[in-house]
Amino acid sequence: MSAPLLEVADLQVWFDLEDGGELHAVQGVNVSLEPGERLGLVGESGCGKTTTALAIMGLLPPNASVSGSILLDGDDILAGGEEAMRPHRWVDIAIVFQGAMNALNPVYTIGRQIVEALELHNRANGTTARARTAELLEAVGIPAGRAQRYPHELSGGMRQRAAIAMALACNPKVLIADEPTTALDVMVQAQILELLDALCRDFGLALILVTHDLPVVAQLCNRCAVMYAGEIVERGPLEAIYHTPGHPYSRMLFAASPDLAGLDDPVYSIHGAPPRLDRPIDGCPFRPRCDSAFDACSVRPRLEQLAADHDAACHLNSGVLA
Amino acid sequence: MRGTDYVLKRVFFAIVTVWVAVTINFVLFRLAPGTAVTNLSRVPHATQQLRHALEVQFGLDKSKWQQYVIYLKQLAHGNLGVSYENEQPVSTNLRIALINSLPMVTLGTVFAIVLGILTGVIAAWRRGTKTEGATLSTALAFYAMPTQWLGLMLIIIFAGIFPTGGMTNEFLLNPGFWTHTKDLASHMFLPALTLGLTLYGEYTLIVRSAMLETLGEDYILTARAKGLKPRTIVRTHALRNAMLPITTLIALSLGYIVAGAILIETVFSWPGIGRAVYEAVLQRDYPMLQGAFLVLTLSVIFFNLVADLLYFKLDPRITE
Amino acid sequence: MPVLERSVSEATFFVEAPTEGGTTNNRGFVLRTIRHQPAALAGLVFLVAMTITAILAPWIAPFPLHEQVGPVFGHPSWQHWFGLDDGGIDMVTLLIWGSRTSLVVGFAATFVSMVIGGTIGVVAGYFGGHTDNVLMRITDYFLVIPDVPLMIVVAAIWGPSLFHIIIVIGILLWTSTARVIRAQVKSVRERVYVKRSRALGAGHTRIVLKHVLPQVAPLLIASTVLTIAVAIFDETALAFLGLGDPSTISLGSIMEHAFERAAISTGAWWAIVPPGVLVTLLILACSLVGGAIEDALNPRLRVAHLSARMFRLRPLVGRGQDAV
Repeated sequence: MSAPLLEVADLQVWFDLEDGGELHAVQGVNVSLEPGERLGLVGESGCGKTTTALAIMGLLPPNASVSGSILLDGDDILAGGEEAMRPHRWVDIAIVFQGAMNALNPVYTIGRQIVEALELHNRANGTTARARTAELLEAVGIPAGRAQRYPHELSGGMRQRAAIAMALACNPKVLIADEPTTALDVMVQAQILELLDALCRDFGLALILVTHDLPVVAQLCNRCAVMYAGEIVERGPLEAIYHTPGHPYSRMLFAASPDLAGLDDPVYSIHGAPPRLDRPIDGCPFRPRCDSAFDACSVRPRLEQLAADHDAACHLNSGVLA
Repeated sequence: MRGTDYVLKRVFFAIVTVWVAVTINFVLFRLAPGTAVTNLSRVPHATQQLRHALEVQFGLDKSKWQQYVIYLKQLAHGNLGVSYENEQPVSTNLRIALINSLPMVTLGTVFAIVLGILTGVIAAWRRGTKTEGATLSTALAFYAMPTQWLGLMLIIIFAGIFPTGGMTNEFLLNPGFWTHTKDLASHMFLPALTLGLTLYGEYTLIVRSAMLETLGEDYILTARAKGLKPRTIVRTHALRNAMLPITTLIALSLGYIVAGAILIETVFSWPGIGRAVYEAVLQRDYPMLQGAFLVLTLSVIFFNLVADLLYFKLDPRITE
Repeated sequence: MPVLERSVSEATFFVEAPTEGGTTNNRGFVLRTIRHQPAALAGLVFLVAMTITAILAPWIAPFPLHEQVGPVFGHPSWQHWFGLDDGGIDMVTLLIWGSRTSLVVGFAATFVSMVIGGTIGVVAGYFGGHTDNVLMRITDYFLVIPDVPLMIVVAAIWGPSLFHIIIVIGILLWTSTARVIRAQVKSVRERVYVKRSRALGAGHTRIVLKHVLPQVAPLLIASTVLTIAVAIFDETALAFLGLGDPSTISLGSIMEHAFERAAISTGAWWAIVPPGVLVTLLILACSLVGGAIEDALNPRLRVAHLSARMFRLRPLVGRGQDAV
């Protein structure tokens, strides 16, 4: 059994708050990724999935503190802090952000920004770089002539394609996509997803797809990890979680998604709000919103194996296992 | 050409503003309480006859509207009147004064901009550290000092090292080019330094604010994700974007440097346009005062226009 | 003085209106903000102390104001901490009385400019549309006129008197306040409770007084304090150029007298340095207080992605109760 490409162990992230307190945004996340594997990281806004993704690349702001280990091909890159993580950026792990963001610098052309990546990591220089840029743009479906355009001159979908082209410039092993289609029109969403699918296949990329949108995960990923209140509450093959969810939150998430719920099933919404992460959580974080909470839930559950490669953190499963 | 419309619109607005400024200038001096003759003429206790003669001479006996038209016509010909003090055309006096002011003010402003950008970037980069606090405090302290007082302090400190008054050493007869330049430079040092120190604090704040805003933008995160070194990111991505608002705000402030220049030129006896204003007030040289004031207002309008056009040129997003 | 108070507002112009929520609508907000920032607190304490000193001037000034108590430019001594000026008058006395005038001019001129600027800002922001356009055009033209030269000209034409100085300074400083207040009022106007009041038929005046003004108040206070700084500066500038009121003594006129009577050449630094230091401290105090309030109202919504500090590593710890 080959070693996983990426292995995140007990990742914790805290943010310093202005009033002196701390926000415990990520509370012990374990993730492993094989080469070429596609993992969906799902959850509501604020559950810590984006922070986890950023932490894997070390892209945390100055008011963050981290602990845990991030093993890339067996080396713990987190241990060395920013200095150790920087050499791996873009050449080993690259990221594509949400389309609505100002992720591309508005004062430089997209061609220039892609060339910057190529030249920085010595993949190409000068004319070669420009030629390679044209190739990359064509690969994502942008006519090469558009390299001279500024980001604001492109549509949202085009910008996202350009960002993907830029991310692939240095042939990374892992691509992280943080809400890549959330800000796009439905039609464009489908195109971008197809593009990601094809590229990951053709380039042999492992993919971590961060999103709150389950249908997107269903389309692209085979495995999925559900996050809630800073921790993973269930993980396993998508099919397994869909058919036999091991956590009420996963069950309600799928039920709340009209595309995935059966046509005749009523569509639920999950009432209430996630717990505050600037205070310690007492017992199971999902308890206030859970429809199946009982006494045991006053103790915080841990991830336990339900079936092969399928784990969940819920006391309801203890009965199953017992 | 991109945005010809925009350029034309801004130029047109500037022209309109010039007209408004010219009119305000007229109103100020002709319609202010106490006529120009009584308050500013050189003969405060003139007889009725003399007063009347002066009024006729300045056309003050005609209707306001006629005066206004005459005024506009004269302006169109570049005629700003004749100075009471040296009986030269005001425009000539002002031209000389402006030429005298320019090197000193330019040097001081450049110094302020460079220092402001440096300290602003440092303060933003080292946010939340003592360095930021120290940088900001110093900037604020210099900003808070009355310009004329700062000049006097520098005189006290540097007396004996640098000349403290005038633009050149009058005792140098027919100096050679280098001697003259050195002489000019040594006289220029203190006033320019005063101007620079007074101004830079404002720029520090502007630059810091723009940088902080820029450093929070998403493309900075992308740049970091690409593996760029922090210094490169600040230089290539952050500063380049921050220069947009910085340039505009600095250009806007240029028109107002005048205020500092008046005080500095008075303290250092620098024969520039600032001191021309001061002396015109002292000597009740009303044509000079009116002319100088007009020139100063026009310079503000000019720099505002420059700021507009610069911003337009630097930001590819503005196409309208 | 370069228009810092203008550029502080503009430097924070990237976020044009403060965040939603009722937190700014508290009396306590301003005081709380200041209390949390040591620099601003120090500034406020200093201002209050100076104001009290100024009010109590007739009683606490150690020596008579118009009497010569020693030689011209007498040196500092235990009796006269800052020596004597060019007329042999005690400097400490002069400073106390001078700051009184400077503060009076500062406060009064600011009051004038706040009334004008605040009114125009509220009216323009609240009514919007045509009124807004006209008022803003007027403001734009006013902004174009360089303030110190205009002040000089008007003071020269109108004649030097304290009243004139106050009016002149006041008339020039309203523009930046007007703009800032207008932006604020515009955002407040869009808020739900204002619309509700309108729907319920409340008159404009009532809405302005009851809803708009309280929200605008902190910004108005910040603007006021910053304007005081500029007003004090302008007064010293005018006094230095000989346009101050000759019958009153202000910090600016103390400096002017010293300059005129060649204090520097005679080495009488005590006649020049202290008044300037006092003015600097006053302006600094105002800038710190006003700046702190403005900063609190326009919070930087994002943490910078990049700075000299990087994220920190914590040593691996067990997960407490979950540790195996």
